[in-house]
Order: sequence, then structure tokens, then C-alpha cells
Amino acid sequence: MHSSANALCKLYLSVIDDVIENVRETFLDEGVEESVLNELRQLWVSKVMQSKAVEGFRKDTINPSNFVLQLPANYTQTLQKQSASIILPPGQNVQNYTAKASGAGAVTTFSLPPGVTYPVHIPAGVTLQTASGHFYKVNVPVVVTQAPRSNRVFTQPAAQRAPPRLPPPQPDPSQARPTIQQAPTQTSNPKSTPAASSSTASGTQPDGQASQPPQEPPAPVDDIQQAPVPQSAPPPPPVSPQPVPESPGDFTLEGIEFSPHPEGTLKQEQGQLLACEVGEGASNSLDTPEKEVKEEAPDGLPVSDGTAFSSLGSQLDEAIKMELLRDFNYSGLEDIVQLDGAGDGSSEDEDVDIGGPVGENDFLGMISAEALHVLEEAGGSDDGSSTSSSDIEKQEIIEELDPLNSGDDVSEQDIPDLFDTENVIVCQYEKIHRSKNRWKFNLRDGVMCYGGKDYVFSRAIGEAEW
Amino acid sequence: MDPGNDVALDIIITNVVATFRTRCHLNLRTIALEGLNVIYKPEFGKVLMKLRKPKITASIWSSGKIICTGATSEEDAKAGARRLARVLQKLGFKVRFSAFKVVNVLAVCSLPFQVHLIQFTKNNRPIASYEPELHPAASYRIKQLRATIQIFSTGSITLTGPDVQTVATAVEQIYPLLFECRKIKH
Repeated sequence: MHSSANALCKLYLSVIDDVIENVRETFLDEGVEESVLNELRQLWVSKVMQSKAVEGFRKDTINPSNFVLQLPANYTQTLQKQSASIILPPGQNVQNYTAKASGAGAVTTFSLPPGVTYPVHIPAGVTLQTASGHFYKVNVPVVVTQAPRSNRVFTQPAAQRAPPRLPPPQPDPSQARPTIQQAPTQTSNPKSTPAASSSTASGTQPDGQASQPPQEPPAPVDDIQQAPVPQSAPPPPPVSPQPVPESPGDFTLEGIEFSPHPEGTLKQEQGQLLACEVGEGASNSLDTPEKEVKEEAPDGLPVSDGTAFSSLGSQLDEAIKMELLRDFNYSGLEDIVQLDGAGDGSSEDEDVDIGGPVGENDFLGMISAEALHVLEEAGGSDDGSSTSSSDIEKQEIIEELDPLNSGDDVSEQDIPDLFDTENVIVCQYEKIHRSKNRWKFNLRDGVMCYGGKDYVFSRAIGEAEW
Repeated sequence: MDPGNDVALDIIITNVVATFRTRCHLNLRTIALEGLNVIYKPEFGKVLMKLRKPKITASIWSSGKIICTGATSEEDAKAGARRLARVLQKLGFKVRFSAFKVVNVLAVCSLPFQVHLIQFTKNNRPIASYEPELHPAASYRIKQLRATIQIFSTGSITLTGPDVQTVATAVEQIYPLLFECRKIKH
């Protein structure tokens, strides 16, 4: 289900992108600034996210390329799907990276090579190069995973990390923030402290730091299992000023902060941060205003176009949120039942109560002649040749004008409760058939909102009883 | 063979068809879009609206004429028609419930004996007609009542008439005729 949810996210994002692109010219013609258009886009994406109609955007899943790990040439990944972890041999130099223009400045983008799935193990010693060209050396093995409800979770193999990583699990968000913030600090002061210790220290330090309130993945935090950082992780690399509240893109892995080195030189420092540009749409669960900005950022990621990330500090927050959501969605997706395709039985359920009768209204289509015949037979059936009915017709029109207000008591059919759920399917129909009170639907190319979530299908078959 | 010696025959009314007028023009598209449980048939120029209770299907024309089918009794038909008019009223049309008339009643009855159709047709030559190649039932028309009865050799008959009372009368009229031609099993 992950794939379908992510495909849905992609689809929605692509729709949004398409529309925005198409109206861009119009906007410009009208003399409206592009910033307005961008804002519109952010609002749109954030609303889609917020509506929870979609399982949030898992940036990584949607577009692994968003997170580009530039691996050394001799890097060989063992790509295993699902829970496979990708081991990055140390010493690899990242090659490919997605260059992303960021308004604020260089944003470190980490794009996993296509096919890379989480969790990703980054052994110590790996040199990562961000899109901006900064090099980051991973001194401590890092595991980038996706925790439910949490942004990218970067866990570090316990063994490697000197101090137990942050207690972060609980105060993750806060920790994350502080961590992030910490990072910048660290970044600014290149540390020469020994790797482990410094990282540890830095890791712990963040606690004291002001957390970044903006991103608050409320629930997700809990789920993060070792993911304290994840929330903060996504924030754009320190290099980019995006996360204003936090240090630019400081990325904390399991409490270990990697400070991105502004210059693309290899750093041995402990505090190197892995800047991770949050790609895909922010988590829908996050509702802060920053989300909007962040939302925009992810847009670019999935498309891996290098959508410009504004250097708004909120971007970081958004990134964090997105990460959170992504992870959240990741796990949450497992609960989703595939409803489209041949196995589509859900549509009928809703349709029976809501979509069915109402759905007919949507179609305004012609029911096949056979259905009509069926209806007529059902309605007036006598065994076929009832010529008598025609004989009976007389033109007696009796003028009774009974006031219909006496019909007040007559109305009030119990229909309202049937429409509580508001499940809707918007689609095209191939064939709708009815026999007495049995309905059969052949639908195509539609979007279904069921239980608040959106599902997209190219074909749907349903049956219902009215 | 005393026709008066009657067993209680169960006459089951299966369908009552009624019409009424709303005395106002109805916008079928509006009804189709906003009404609940409607089927729009633009090629026929009508909208079908089904009610759950009573179980009724109504064909609605834009002229305001409505035909209501599927009811199981005359009262049901009227109640259903009024409910339907109420629904239309709620949709915003200035509906006046007028000219309600039950147009057709369909009933079935099961006779306790089988019937010899050919003999029956011979006995009632002009009024009854039987074409086994066309239809397995013999049909019998009671002109005065404007009722038609279809008789099957198994002893089941279906009756249609302008109202329930007529149908009951028709059964009573036809019973002795059928009784004469019953098949006697040995």
C-alpha cells in the first residue's frame, strides 16, 4: 500500500505542479508576482497534506532521488527492498547529487540513488557530498531509517556511538530541534574534538538548546524509536539557511550531529552534519504555518527538479515535519487496504448508502436500455402481455387540491444517517446497471475519498444493493 | 358445483399504479442533480425516483405528471405519492398534489385446482382467447369491469383492473367459469 499511497502523493503533486505551471504565465500576464504563485502552491500543498486525504508525503519514498547520497565511486550498494538496509562502504565519494537551487543558499540534498530504500546504513568513514558540493564525512556509522510518523530517522548503530544517543525518543522533537540548532553552532566552529565525544556532546547539548517549536510533529514523535533526530534531521543541511530556527540544515543523526562543512572539504570533525534536504511533501499531520513553506520545498524534491527551496527557516521545520509525516505515513500505510481494482468492494459499501444513490446523480448518464426495461418490468410487471392496462387509461382528472402541508408528516425519510460518512467517488462510468434493486458499477479513472483518505483508480467494479 | 361454496381465495395485490399531477413544471435536471435516489433518463425525458418506504418507483416528467408504481395497496400508493410530492416540494418546486388516481391494480390468485384451458376457451368463446403458441395463458376480458384475467393451466391467475374492488369482483365472476373447467386428477 505504500506504493499506492506514494503514487497518490506523486500524482497529486504532479497535478499541483502542472496547474501551477500552466497558470504561471497567466499570473505573470496579469501582473501578479510569482511569489504569489508560489505561495498559492504552498497553500495548496499544505492543504492537501492537512486534509489527511493523502497519506502524507514520504519524501524519500516518493523520490529517493531527493535524498542523494553521493557515494564514492567504489560504492556498491546492496539494494534490498523493504527493510533492506543499504550499506555504504566507507570511503565512497558521493557522485551523484541532485542539485537543488535553494533560495537561501546551498541546500544540502541527499538523494539516495534510485532504488535505495530505507533504512540506509551509512558506515563510518563515508564521505557524502551534498548537492551544494559540500562534503560531509560520516564519522559515525549512521542508519537512516524511516520511522512511523517521524521524519527520516537517523539512527546510529549503538555500538558506534559513544554516548547513548539521545534520549531523544521522548523529547525528540525538542531534542531534534536543539540538535539542529546545535549543529549550526558546531558548524560554525569547526570542531576538532574527537569524533565520538564531540558528537556526543553536541548531541546532548542540543537538549539545552531551544527547540524548534515550529515543527511539531505531535504524534509522530512518539513513534520515533530512535529517531530523535529524524525530525530535526530533515532540516536542510546547515549550509542552507532554510531552517531558520535551527541551524541551517543541521542534521542530527541519532543525536549525532553532522555539521555540514561549508566548503566542500573533507572534515574530520565529529560534528559534521548530514544535511538532508527534506524532499517530499510535509507530513500532513503537521499543521504549523511553516508547513506551507516546507510543503513547497518538498514539491521540488519529488520532482527532483531542484525546486528552489526558500531559505526560510520554516523550511527546515517543514522538512522536519515532512520527515515525520513521511515516516508516519510509511507505517501508517500498512494499515491501508487496497481498495481499487478488482477487489474493490468498498465503493459499493459507500455507494450503497451514499455513493450509490447519490452517485447516480453524479453520473447523469444514460442507463442502458436494458436497465430501463428492467425497471419498467419491475415496476409494472404483470406477466408480459398486459394489454389491460392500456384499456384502463381514462382521462379523468379529478381536481383534488389537498394541501400538501399535511404531507409534512409524510416526509422525513430516514435517509440522512446514510450520508454521514461523506464517502465520495468522483469518476467516469463505463457501465452502470440495475436489476430491481441490485446495482452493478463499472467505473474508470476516478478518485475515491473513503474514510477521509483519497484513493485513485483507473478501474473500479462495484456491486450494491439499494 | 356451487360457486357460492367458496373457499377463501387469497388475492394478493402485487402492484398498484397511480398517477398524479404537481400542477407545476418540474426541472428534471434539478431533480436529477439534487434529489436522492434518482435515476435520470434524459433519452426518455423523465426522472425515476425510488422511495424506500413505501417501496415505490415514480416516473417524473417535466410537465409535472408523475406515475407511481410498485405499491402494494391503494393506500400505500397514495401515501407514497404524497411523500414523493413532498420531496419535490422540498427540492424547491411549487408542488400541488392534485389529480391522484389509481390507474392499475395487478393481483395474483392461486386457484385450488388446475384448469382445462381449451375447454374453458371453448365455453367462453368470444370473451376468452387462448393462443398457446403465443402465450401459455388464456386471457379473459370483462368489459364491464374493464378487467383482464389471465388464466394458466396450473390454476394460477393474474388479474388487472382499475382498482382493487374491481379485481375482487372479477375473481368472483371468473371463479365459477373456471370451476367448470377444472381438471380433475385421479
